[in-house]
Amino acid sequence: MGEVIVITSGKGGVGKSTTTASLGVGLAMRGKKVALIDTDTGLRNLDILLGLERRIVYTLVDVAQKRVNYGQALVRHKKYSNLFLLPTSQVADKTAIEPEQMKQLVDTMRNEFDFILIDCPAGIEQGFQTAVIGADWAVVVTIPEVSAVRDADKIIGRLQAVNKDIKLIVNRIDPQMVKAGTMLDMTSIDDILSLPCIGQIPDDREVINASNQGIPIIEWSNTAAGRAYNDVVGRICGEDIPFKPFETEGFFARLKHVFGH
Amino acid sequence: MGDEVFKLKGNQTGLQLVFAPGIAFETLRNEIQKRLESGSQFFKRGTVIQLVPDQLSKENEESLRKLFHQYGVLFRVEPIEDVSKARRPIPKQKAPETNIPAAQAAAKESPAEPKPAEEHRMMVINRTVRSGQEIQTQGSVLICGNVNPGAEIIAGGSIDIRGTCRGIVHAGAYGDRNSFIIADCLMPVQIRIADLIAQAPDSIEKPAYAEKASVKNNQIIIEPIER
Repeated sequence: MGEVIVITSGKGGVGKSTTTASLGVGLAMRGKKVALIDTDTGLRNLDILLGLERRIVYTLVDVAQKRVNYGQALVRHKKYSNLFLLPTSQVADKTAIEPEQMKQLVDTMRNEFDFILIDCPAGIEQGFQTAVIGADWAVVVTIPEVSAVRDADKIIGRLQAVNKDIKLIVNRIDPQMVKAGTMLDMTSIDDILSLPCIGQIPDDREVINASNQGIPIIEWSNTAAGRAYNDVVGRICGEDIPFKPFETEGFFARLKHVFGH
Repeated sequence: MGDEVFKLKGNQTGLQLVFAPGIAFETLRNEIQKRLESGSQFFKRGTVIQLVPDQLSKENEESLRKLFHQYGVLFRVEPIEDVSKARRPIPKQKAPETNIPAAQAAAKESPAEPKPAEEHRMMVINRTVRSGQEIQTQGSVLICGNVNPGAEIIAGGSIDIRGTCRGIVHAGAYGDRNSFIIADCLMPVQIRIADLIAQAPDSIEKPAYAEKASVKNNQIIIEPIER
């Protein structure tokens, strides 16, 4: 029986889809059979981040409404043959899928996959309910900003109300700003959210570069964010990986990045 | 008063500090300090010592408060109430004192007087109250956890938070100005007691002590307390 994890945040733009794509690839690189489900109906983009946009034929809406079975809608990743995407529709909206349909689908799919990662839309409306209902536990992604932490807190309250286990990923940490005291540090975030943390992802401009090419950043193992995501995957698989202190990048390290690719 | 400079008289709410009028403050203070150092049984941590107001100057009161505080004793300058009288159920519906804040109006579904049973019941919340969550009760509330920013606690009585309070807290929401708010770490954006509202300063340091917010002279005041 596979594990179903929903990746959520409340606030938009904090890196839910980026995280879903990287964790999916990371788990697939470790030989797991993985399905990624995009539930951001109407605003889908997980397919773009994975470089699979052109291969989509059927969508989650077709599956939920039983026009096709899920196998027909799954898109296999170009590079990792054990990684699949179940994309959603770009034309329908979030009311097209009922939470109950989603739960049934996930419960069928978990017989075939080791991991099912559900990319949740921003917000707390029906899309959120649909994404969350079938999951065993949740990853809450946030960034070190007061508004994002506030929204994460709200989402955590909702998740705890339905008894989901929750783990935290803090994305886009700028070590230099934390050092200068101009960005929330892990202690202040933990003070409010008080959740076990499985990821601290440094802010890395390479993420945008990789995303634009349809490559999840975890594939670029020489980037700071790629390494951090790889650690998260290890932790999800049950490995005990300590958090490494961030190196505040010097001039040479940055030069290396510029010439890295 | 014999050879003693001061006396501690027991009453229902604690100990009352009594001394002869006209005694030099220095003498009084020294004697109290001696007694504190002697480790007298009277001065267990958390003991409340009361003083009837207008017997000492404000500086001297403050000086005594600091002295007692060093030994974990709470010193309060307040009129000694006749507790037997105070315990009697006070009619909640006083004459409409001042304007009713919007929050109160919203919180109060039925403007009828809360039933005594409801009023005195203590609600216990054994978790952190997170953003967007709201706790409402006619009586008092004890929260074993934090009150996060964006959360709201509205109580007809008092609020005790065993954790950090960063949300909005409203005690005495039905007009009881005797309600108070206690938190291990009191740093809310707003404190409301009955019809009064206090706003937090723009930058707020994390307080090192537990604090209590209550109403004095038509103002919400915050003071450190021992727990």
